[in-house]
Amino acid sequence: MKRHAQVLLLVLTGVGLLHIALFTDLYLRYVKEGLRPLLIASGVLLTLLGLAAAVLDRRADAHARHTHGHDHATAPRVAWLLFLPALSLLVYAPPALGAYTAAHSGTKAVRQQKRFDPLPATSPVPLTLTDFTTRVQQDRTLSVRNRTVQLTGFASPAGQGGGWYLTRIIFTCCAADSQTVKVRVYGTEVPAPNTWLRVTGTWHARGTLGTRSAEAALDARALRPMAQPVNAFTDDLPLTPS
Amino acid sequence: MPKTDDLVGVPGVEAQGGVAVAGVGALRRRRLSRPVAAAFALGAAAVVLTVTGVQWLDEPAVAAWRTVCLAITVQALPFLLLGTVLSGAINAFVPADLFTRALPRHPVLAVPVAGVAGAVLPGCECASVPVAHSLIRRGVTPAAAFAFLLSAPAINPVVLTATAVAFPNSPAMVAARLLASLATAAVMGWLWLWLGKDEWLRAGVRHTGHRHGHSRWSEFRLGFQHDFLHAGGFLVLGAMAAATFNVMVPRSVLDTFSGSPWLSVLFLAALAVLLAVCSEADAFVAASLTGFSPTARLAFLVVGPMVDLKLIALQAGTFGRAFAWRFSGATTVVAVLSSVLIGGALL
Repeated sequence: MKRHAQVLLLVLTGVGLLHIALFTDLYLRYVKEGLRPLLIASGVLLTLLGLAAAVLDRRADAHARHTHGHDHATAPRVAWLLFLPALSLLVYAPPALGAYTAAHSGTKAVRQQKRFDPLPATSPVPLTLTDFTTRVQQDRTLSVRNRTVQLTGFASPAGQGGGWYLTRIIFTCCAADSQTVKVRVYGTEVPAPNTWLRVTGTWHARGTLGTRSAEAALDARALRPMAQPVNAFTDDLPLTPS
Repeated sequence: MPKTDDLVGVPGVEAQGGVAVAGVGALRRRRLSRPVAAAFALGAAAVVLTVTGVQWLDEPAVAAWRTVCLAITVQALPFLLLGTVLSGAINAFVPADLFTRALPRHPVLAVPVAGVAGAVLPGCECASVPVAHSLIRRGVTPAAAFAFLLSAPAINPVVLTATAVAFPNSPAMVAARLLASLATAAVMGWLWLWLGKDEWLRAGVRHTGHRHGHSRWSEFRLGFQHDFLHAGGFLVLGAMAAATFNVMVPRSVLDTFSGSPWLSVLFLAALAVLLAVCSEADAFVAASLTGFSPTARLAFLVVGPMVDLKLIALQAGTFGRAFAWRFSGATTVVAVLSSVLIGGALL
């Protein structure tokens, strides 16, 4: 790989990282929010490195050409592969993970929890999918009984058993370690996969509430489409873009 | 929609990058100039894309593959940069005899000391490969550098804290991970002293330390640039392989292996190699594999930071293919054995 290609590659990779982490929120599709400062620093570093190489190595290049054949001006051919992520970041960023990934993964096991705080008195109560599942299957105080709750997520197909899944995909570090949380929704038409929805409803009574036999499922009263939240890949209550 | 066509034409160039490389190589032998070869490759790529269209890039499976592949690359890039900056700095600024003086003179003793020293490099496994390489170039005995390479991503405070958070009810898991990783690193170092051959390592053809004619800073910058481009290419290769397994093997298949204690250990060890999850995140993945025994999950945590597809690609690029296969194979065996022994005792 010649010097010009190296300069181009360094600058493209750097600008690509800045594009997804600094100028837009695209990086949230791929990695955790906490990585943002590191991505910006990397983008700046690579861009500067590329510019430095463009300016400083011009003389060295000419010098190297008529003194000796081998020098730092060539990089190994495998480096061409770096153009794939660089250009992909800049012009054709792949979509966020969605219904396809959710349909191919099991449901994340919820953590054991002994104590549950009483739910606030508002109705409907906004809950995360994990919190809802945990309360349905482990809360001996039956806090969700007869309560109207509001859950958010995107729709994914449920296969057999009727209904569909309200789904969140959660990253620990990046999209490669994603885990899926699903709550089955009954009583409405099946929405198109990957549409983000706010669902209000009550627990779908199947099994004994507060034990493992209870199904994490909802009888929906209302569906409201919503924009994909900024923090789509955490299981927090949604932050909508302002 | 001409606009869309414009947009999708560009990734075509990108998607055919590999072809461009091969094309350039083949054409150079026929003494064609590079610009002509590159133009030829780009033209071929454009033709292929016009014929096949770009719809397939947006098929759900392909799109998920692209997302996971890019995510692994983006996640690893800052750590790879950190590693190459450190390795470039070691090359250009650290006096050659510093490490040889700091480590015990006898290689058998230097191995465990270097293994414990791995605790000071905070980051995931991508950073440790270039650093280990620069240590060898600086005269550290390869056995000690390899012990460092293996232990650094597994026992640094960031990773151990993540493990403690992921397994809140079993502090023994943190201790077992620390001990099993250290043991594996030390055993692999000693194994290299006993059986390793220097000719498996690719000859160090590149710059070593400070040379005349360049300032230290420009030496640092050029070494850094070379190392980054080199390792980055292999990172992309490894990310592609890992993304392929990640998308093709559904997680629900995993539970079928959880019944047998022996099979489950081997299965999770293999899974750690194939999934290539970053060592800072793997504890959370292990915690989610609830159907498996603690020992099997320990094997996942010990093997993962030491051997995975992305690391094998990085090591093959840095130390040579002959080394990467032997070393990764032996490391997997040693890591599984040490997790079974230590997991059996502690968990």
